[in-house]
Parts: sequence; C-alpha cells; structure tokens
Amino acid sequence: MSPRLWVTGVGLVTPLGIGVETTWSRLVRGDCAIRSIRLFGAAGQRAGVAGEVDAVAPPDGEPAAPWSRTSAMALAAAAEAMRGASVDPHAARVGLVVGGTTGGMFENEQVLARLHAELECRETLVQMLSHPLTATGDCLERRLGPFARVRSVASACSSGANALVVAASWLLSDEVDIVVAGGSDGLCRLTLSGFNALGALDPEPCRPFDRRRRGTSLGEGAAFLVLEREERARARRAAPPPIAELAGWALGAEAHHITNPAPEGAMVVSLIEQALARAGLSPREIDYVNAHGTGTPLNDAMEAIALGRALGSEIERIPVSSSKGQIGHALGGAGAIEAAITALVVARRTLVPTAGLDQPDPALALVHVPHLGREVPRVRAALSNAFGFGGMDTVLVFAEPDLTRGGRATQPRPANGAPPLPAGLGVLTGAAVFGVCGLLGSEECAILPERRFASETAVDPDVHLDVTRARRLDRAARLGAVAVQRALADANANADGTGIVLGSAYGNVDGSAEFMHRVFDRGPRAASPAEFPNLVPSSAVGHVSIYVGLRGPAFAIADLAASGESALVQAAQLVAAGETSRVVAGAVEPESDIVERVLSALFAHTPSQAHAKRADLAAAVVLESETEAAARGARPLARIRQLVEWRGGGRSALDSLLAPRTARAEVILSRENGGADEALAGTGWNPCARVVCAPALGESDALGAVAIAVAAGRIATLRVDEALVLGFARGRGFAIVLTR
Amino acid sequence: MTNAQLRAELKRLIVTELNLRGRSPESIADDAPLFGAGLGLDSLDALQLAMVIEEKLGVRIPEGDEARAVFQSVRTMADHIEKARGA
Repeated sequence: MSPRLWVTGVGLVTPLGIGVETTWSRLVRGDCAIRSIRLFGAAGQRAGVAGEVDAVAPPDGEPAAPWSRTSAMALAAAAEAMRGASVDPHAARVGLVVGGTTGGMFENEQVLARLHAELECRETLVQMLSHPLTATGDCLERRLGPFARVRSVASACSSGANALVVAASWLLSDEVDIVVAGGSDGLCRLTLSGFNALGALDPEPCRPFDRRRRGTSLGEGAAFLVLEREERARARRAAPPPIAELAGWALGAEAHHITNPAPEGAMVVSLIEQALARAGLSPREIDYVNAHGTGTPLNDAMEAIALGRALGSEIERIPVSSSKGQIGHALGGAGAIEAAITALVVARRTLVPTAGLDQPDPALALVHVPHLGREVPRVRAALSNAFGFGGMDTVLVFAEPDLTRGGRATQPRPANGAPPLPAGLGVLTGAAVFGVCGLLGSEECAILPERRFASETAVDPDVHLDVTRARRLDRAARLGAVAVQRALADANANADGTGIVLGSAYGNVDGSAEFMHRVFDRGPRAASPAEFPNLVPSSAVGHVSIYVGLRGPAFAIADLAASGESALVQAAQLVAAGETSRVVAGAVEPESDIVERVLSALFAHTPSQAHAKRADLAAAVVLESETEAAARGARPLARIRQLVEWRGGGRSALDSLLAPRTARAEVILSRENGGADEALAGTGWNPCARVVCAPALGESDALGAVAIAVAAGRIATLRVDEALVLGFARGRGFAIVLTR
Repeated sequence: MTNAQLRAELKRLIVTELNLRGRSPESIADDAPLFGAGLGLDSLDALQLAMVIEEKLGVRIPEGDEARAVFQSVRTMADHIEKARGA
C-alpha cells in the first residue's frame, strides 16, 4: 500500500489578500478582487482589469534589485505554509518545488525590450538576476532554507499543480521527509499583452461558466503547501494535524494544439480517472470540484464535457466552482493556489463559489455554487484541475485525512500500469545530440568529445522535420523536436504514453525581448498572438509533445547551466515513483544574443561561461523503468546507479557518492573548471579519466544533457563500464552515476 | 491598391506570416476556404492574420462572428479591406 501524503501547511498570497485567512474569508463571501490594473498602464488592451496583489515587497534587509514580485509573493506564501506546519529545515530533509512561468518578467520586460533594440545597455542589468525561473527558488532558499533539493518546474498554467506532483514523487521515493511545494506568478505586461492578443480576456471581470463569458481575467499570486508522509508527520512532534490528504494526482499532455484545448477533453477525462484510481476513490466519494474554469468559451465547454464523462451520473450531484472569477487566472501560480483552496474546502467543509455567475450557461451540465460559499456536512474528497498551454494537464485529488483509513474503494495504482516502486532508477535506452555536430545517435555520441566542430556550422532542424506540421514551432522547439525524435528512434520506442522533461536555463528570453519591444514600441495591438505561446518557458515541451505525439507527463525544468542534469534527475524521480514508465529527458538551448551577452555573465559558474559564443544545441535521452524496457525487449544503453543533488556549499552530499565498481570508469563533464577537482577529491572517482564536452561543441547551458548522452553512448559501446556525469551551476550541482 | 493586388498581397502575407513553408502564394485560390478543411488554418492563425492586416494594411478586422465572415477566403478578406478603406 502506498503511503499517505498529508498536507500539513498552507500559505496563500492572492489578490483577495495576503495570508490564508484573509483570502479564505473573502473567497467564501464571494468578493471579486478583479479591478482596474494599477501596476502598469493597460491602455489599448482589450481588458484593463486583473486581479492584483497589493503591497508586495521584498523582505526587510534584502536589496530591492534582484527581487521580483513573483519571488516576494512566493516567499510570503511559503513562509506561511512552513510556519503553519512548524517545518524546521535544519531538523529534516526538506525539499522545495516552485512552479511558475513569469519569474521576474515584470521587473525585466523594459530592460529586455531595450536589449532587443540595443544589446549594449549595461546600467540596469543587475535586475536581471531576478529574471530566471530559478531566481524564486534561490530567494526562498536564502530566506527559508537550507533545502535538501530545489526544483523549478514550468508547464504553463498547470505549473503550480505539477510542483505538487513532483513533491509527491519525491515523498513516495522517500528521498526527502518534507516538501514545500507550490507556485508563484506575478502579473506583467507580457502576459497581459499576450492573452489580449489571443482574444482570451474578458473586458469585464471574468465569469466562468456564465453564458455571457467572453474570456478569462489575469490574476497573480502564490501558494505553497507543506506535504509529508503520514508516518513521518506523526513521528514529527511539531507537526500539526493534517489539513487534508493529497490522495491522488495525474498529469499528461494532450499533444493537440499549443493554445486550444482538445474539444472533448479526452486527456482530462483520462487524468481524472487515473487520479481517482491512484487515490483509490470513486466518483461517488467526490463532493466538490475546483475547476480550471478560466471563463474562456472553449475551456469551460471542454471542462464541463470532460467532468461529465469522467464522473458519470455523479456530476449531477457534485458542486463545481471556479475561483478565477474572484482572483483571476494566476497562470503558473493558479494550480497551486487552487490546490490550496481545494485542500481548505475539504478541511473546512465549506464550498467556495464562482463569482459573477448570474446566468449559468445551459450548455454546461454542471451543479454550480454561484456568488456565495456555503457550509456543507462533509467534503470527503475534491478534485482540482489545472490545464496549461500546449495541453499540459494536471488533476489533483484532496481527501479528508481519514477518508481512506478503513481501506480504499479500490487498491491505489499509479498511472500507465507501472508498478508503484520499480526496482532501480531506470534504464537509458536511447540518446541523441543535435547541434553544430549534426544529428547524432547514441553510438556517435560516444566519440563526440573526441571531435571538434566549428561554432559557425549551420544547424538546420527543418531538414529533419515535416515543415508543414512544424510551422508553429519556434527555434527551440524545432531543435528539441529533432533531438527527441532521434532519441526515440535510437531507443526504438513509441512516442505515445511517453513523458517529456526538458531543461532550459532561461526560457525564450530573446523572443520575450522582441515581443515586448513591439508592445512598447507600437502598442498592445502589435503583440503577436502566434508568438506569445512560444514565450511560456514550457513552450518547447508543449510543441515537442504535440509534434512528436508524447502524451505522458510533460513539463520544463529550469536549473541554469545544470538544466540538462536536472531534467534527467527529475525524469528518473518520476520513473522511480511510478509516475511514468518512459520519459524523454534533455535540454534545449537555441543560440541567444541576450544569454550570450548578458545572462551568461550574470549567472556564470566558471569564467569560461561568461559571454562565451553559443550555438544551437539540443540533447535528449530516453529513460524507462526496468520493467518497461524488459517488457518491450529494449536494448539498454546504460542504467542509472545513483543520483545525487546538492545545493549551495552542500557538497558533503557527495560523501554518499558510490565508488566505481571497475577501473574502466570515467567522469564526464560539461566544461572544465566547474569545481570537479574539489568535488571529486577523496571520492573513488578521483583517479578516473575525465571527458569534457564543451571543447567539441562550444559553451551551452544544455551541455549537461550532452554529457548524459555521451556517458550513455560510451557505456553502450563498451568503452567504459561506468560513468559519472557531474554537473555544476551557480549554487547547485548534480551527480549521475551510470553503469552497464 | 486594386482588389487583385490586395489579394496577391494577402496570399503573400498568409504564406509568410503563418509560415506555410513549401506553399506558393499563387497556389492559394481566391475563393478557397482558408480554415478547417481548406488551407487547414485555425483560430490562432486568424488572430495572427488580423494583427498583421491591421499593421501592414491599416484595416482592423472585427472580432467574433463577423471575423468568421471576413476570413472565409482571400476574396472576402480583400473585399472587407477595400470596403473599410473606401468608407
């Protein structure tokens, strides 16, 4: 029986108020916080209203410059959640997962627009330290840590929900004791202009499920939940009673369209069924649904159909509401905010309403909670839905902590028929690198570091793609699609049912700069609707999943120059927790002027990274559970023997590093001078030969994914028996031991 | 700009702005349906075209059902632009 995961703390920062109690009381009263935008001028936008959080500021004693509103909101919410659960990060292994899409966009969009026009504006660049998605986790770690591990995940509007899924996978594998997980996104001109260009905004505060609904309203905010295994919470004396159980979850990609939901919501139906199965619950025990409910005509229609299909006749009984009519759509924060609200609905036996729902759309066969919240005898279990651009959908199930105590309706089972905890960390069955070296499979990857490629070599993804089907894919997505396609071919594996985790250090920074330059220069009507979806940090993941047909768990990872290592480690953690039996993991970094000229210097871990010429690069490996690989007779390239990750100066983590079992072992590094000497001193890997990838391909933040592909290739071609991939970036590091 | 010139320009914009690689502008018939079964365009393309037409040709395309009528074919688009400019 898989362990129960308890929610022992919640923190909320929403346009309704700072803190759980303010937000909750106003939610139940049906207050609407969507008002005229004050944060910036919204002239020329279709909608001049949004939900804004007042009085967001960096904490006392912190310099103003490197903070973003996103990070400040996240700090307030995470601190509240940790206080509520009495979490002492010095007394337990505590993990942090941050979901989000905007990072420091609001603080940086003017700088980015200027950089697009003139790359040499240097004076304000320190603010860009707040730009990457990782900045939020780094700020939280500084104020609330230490954390045993930190992950930044992005899957557009399901980012906050997927942070909880990552947390659950860590807890099931028992690699940490407690996880603080959630999401945060600040309102910015980029997202307002983008959703405006898509015609997705209601000029009035949005009215989910109303027949007059004309779109969503943007919001902002943060929520964090403290999650821990029941038995550990019971053993922890300071732990409060549980708020709710995170009983089930499921995530997957629709592989349908970059902005529009699949009309019948087939993936959503499947995910609700999978999440209920994992929880061991049936629709008869669901007493409430907190819908994604954006208020767009398409989403609400699809969601109503999907809920009806998944919950059957029970949908005639189960109240459904959307919180977006009150707080707006907080994008990367929304999934976490609504998860927190759903957990509170269960705990407090009080339904929260849909504001603005005066005229329910008769086409949507739902039981609504219009205008006002209300107490109910019980909420045994409740669903929270979150759907993101690119069709990245997540369904969470929260239940009363004692609901499943006397045995569940059905035995919980993880998605895709995978066993709950497969033996081993997974098998690599395919690898590919695409860049100035051309397109290489695992065998050619083995000798990649021995070669030298000119950084000026043209990289043309289109010769490997169906250009008609790929017409919406931007550069990063094209590079990613080519590498992922090749890695799957190398593994002789099917795409369907396969997940995808891709790392990117900074997201589409040049695209965002160009987009904002147009908006500032020519006004919001010049914002490109086709370009906007490519600016979400998970855009390449969404595009690749659609192009290649990947329908498993899908999200992006940001971890600076160790994004490739981080993506593989996270993918392996998903496989180990039984979340998916096959996943493609890698990293994509297109050539980028702003990364090369600005960000690479701000975030350099070694001097060689700053301002180094960057060429297009993508690399990916296929990772499977042992069971899956054996069942389909896959050829194993290499097996994962051990994964180690650390933060800050915590290199003592490498004390646990397993020594190589034979003398035929190598250390594979992205680049020289990353700190390998210091890290390896005293370990069994110190005498081993070192192979460095940067000389072959040039500097790139995706080199970690190359190092993994090289290591797999070298083991598969019998050059070595074992390899250690060691990846460093500022303030973090990963060690991946691969074996035959 | 004559109606014929407008239609040629619209076809060029459709191919370049929507990245219809390998498709020549001349191969798009004046009356061919653009969306769904026709050229295979969708609502996101319609939004992009509306933005580009406003920027390059100075004519605002209405939203919603009216847009659907305008976007039926290259000819209906050209007619709408001509009418809007003449008005």
